Amino acid sequence: MLLPEKMTKILIIGSKTRLEDSIDVLYKIEAVHPIDFSAEEEGFSLGAPLAEASEASQRLLRLRSFEKDLNVVDKPAAEMVDSSRIEREADEAINGLEAEITGIVESKSNIQNRIHELEANKKTLEPFLSLPLDIDSYKGYESLQVFTGMVQNDPKEVLRQALKEYELFQSAEGGFIAVFVAKAEAAEAQRVLIQQGFTEYPAPAGKGDPKAAMAAIDSEIGVQTKSLEEVAEKLVQLRKKHEHFILASDEFFSIEVEKAEFPLRVGTSDHAFVIDAWVPTKELPEVQKTIQEQLGDDVYVEVLETAPRRAHIHPEEAHAGVSEAHVVEVPPSKTSNRSPVNMFSFLTELISTPSYGEIDPTIIIAIFFPFFFGLMVGDIGYGIPFILLGILGLKKCASKEWRTIATMLFWGGIWATLLGLFLFGDLFGMPIGARWIAEPGYTLEQLKVMYPYGNELSWSSMTQTFLPNPGYLSKLNSVKLFLYITIWIGFLHLTIGYIVGIYNESIRHGFKHAFFHKVSWLMILVGGAFLLLYFVDLLILQSPVGLDDPRFLIGMVLIMPGIAISLVGEGATTILELPTVLSNVISYTRLAAIGMSKAGMALAFNMIAIEMIAPAGGFAIVAAMLVFFIGHLMIFILAVITAGIHGIRLHYVEQFQKFFSGGGLKFNPLKIVRKYTIER
Amino acid sequence: MVVEIGSGLIAVGAGLAVGLAGLGSGMAEGPIGAAAVGAIAEDEKNFGKGLIMTVIPETIVIFGLVMAILLWIKIPS
Repeated sequence: MLLPEKMTKILIIGSKTRLEDSIDVLYKIEAVHPIDFSAEEEGFSLGAPLAEASEASQRLLRLRSFEKDLNVVDKPAAEMVDSSRIEREADEAINGLEAEITGIVESKSNIQNRIHELEANKKTLEPFLSLPLDIDSYKGYESLQVFTGMVQNDPKEVLRQALKEYELFQSAEGGFIAVFVAKAEAAEAQRVLIQQGFTEYPAPAGKGDPKAAMAAIDSEIGVQTKSLEEVAEKLVQLRKKHEHFILASDEFFSIEVEKAEFPLRVGTSDHAFVIDAWVPTKELPEVQKTIQEQLGDDVYVEVLETAPRRAHIHPEEAHAGVSEAHVVEVPPSKTSNRSPVNMFSFLTELISTPSYGEIDPTIIIAIFFPFFFGLMVGDIGYGIPFILLGILGLKKCASKEWRTIATMLFWGGIWATLLGLFLFGDLFGMPIGARWIAEPGYTLEQLKVMYPYGNELSWSSMTQTFLPNPGYLSKLNSVKLFLYITIWIGFLHLTIGYIVGIYNESIRHGFKHAFFHKVSWLMILVGGAFLLLYFVDLLILQSPVGLDDPRFLIGMVLIMPGIAISLVGEGATTILELPTVLSNVISYTRLAAIGMSKAGMALAFNMIAIEMIAPAGGFAIVAAMLVFFIGHLMIFILAVITAGIHGIRLHYVEQFQKFFSGGGLKFNPLKIVRKYTIER
Repeated sequence: MVVEIGSGLIAVGAGLAVGLAGLGSGMAEGPIGAAAVGAIAEDEKNFGKGLIMTVIPETIVIFGLVMAILLWIKIPS
């Protein structure tokens, strides 16, 4: 269950006349992972696509163009279309649709072009509105040249000096001009105008008053826009009417094309075909039986070998002096987890697909990740909203990423609520029950009498009612204990990592290899745990323990041989690796550090809102509630990011390094996923 | 609250230990993170490796944290 399923390699050989039927059967079995034919075997070459491939592709192409024209998008189907109906009606329907759609799409694009044209005309005409001349008066002179355009400086003065005879029209603000000048002086006029920053605006076509022309253009744009809307409405109607059929046919022909192109992955000779494939070993009898029943004696299944778990040499690495006998194709990994665990499989895939010869670590993530998340959040006030948000996400979200986040929030929220209630006793960063902090000169009993509801900010002291304290640990007051607990969580987590590592190494390379590479490190880790106990006593609790303390002795007895074994197995890198064990364990103190930082922020907001703002009364109470709400919302959102990332990071970086190699090939059997069609 | 100057200096030292170590981690992680994002943009399969490479310098700040805690424990309460 923890390892990927056992795979058996089979060879399917058959008469080429039955290739098409064989493909159908293999797709129906849904348990055959084909190996692409490598075109090296004698007498066989890559197959050619089946005859129907090209026809189906053409239909698919036309359907896709309809989808684009009508703006059809994927959506859940109301009802399934029978695929035999599509097969019967597709040709006629596609032709009909084409006739119906093409005309409308064409008129739509005509109208759009016309509107663009009108808008361009409008733009040309616009500056001429500011001059008191008809449009036709700018053109058609034999002896006159007309300049129209924008100038940066007022050209009145310079034109008067440079030209003998001319006429100048200027717009009210002076930027747009029209100069009428005799052809003989045109060159001079142009030179002068360019010096004044002249940009030519060609005169528009048409005649009469520019204002009237503008009104005509505007009214035509209005008419065209209206007909564009009508056409768009028609297309929407068409989409509503046909989208279901279009999507279903798209799916049907996509499947056709996929099947028809499958021979490209198969070796064929003149009369026969061969397919190499992996099949899960436990499904093999079923596969053999189905092929025998459906295809009879024309197709033969040869069972080659069941893939061993021992490490495989990838064919690409075969050149590096490895003899060919060792080259085995990598079997695909089919991991199968039951429901709640399976929800976390995306997190494993994010790093890599587990290889065929190693344990799928999803179950470890499923157990520890929500726990780490909950430990870092550790507050009922955030835990319950996380659960609700998680449920909402799991109901509404479809994408893998969001579903994974929702899963994390749901299970993490459950842990956060449980730990928040029974370990920390916190609600929105405040302890629920009364708490007393030591004050110099008073005993705890005296303090309890003086402050019946506790002398620390808590729900008890705020509501002035005595509430019992359900938690054992205060994130901010029991820091040492909290850090100490997280270090032990680290030891446990890493020990699991090494044990899985030992198992993986032994099934892949044998126990000897595992002993030198993993058992040695497990000994160092466990020895370190004993030393930790010893040093806590010696340094922190200041107990008089000597070097003959059993914890010290056991620690050393484990660590020293561990280092020696590792030195034999891995050489001098052991020395470099030693500090990593320490830093990996210490890395788990982040669980406490992040929990504390959240508690610290929450405390700050609570003190601002409850102790500093609220006592002023009246409107200040509303302000205090606002500060309280916004502050906690911020911590809540930050918690998703920090607790989520650090929780998963402890798996990826600290733990997976101990056993996970990944790089597996995902089991991807021939299979048809239907959303819009059914096969009867 | 009266705090002895010695305790105060220990607290400052603890703060410096974790603060400067954090700064160091950040300076080291920045360029690695940028490169990792680039690699992930090329091929999403690099996510795992990218993440692991990026967080390697985080050890520095954890050591800083440990030093800070060791110092802080020494503050007489």
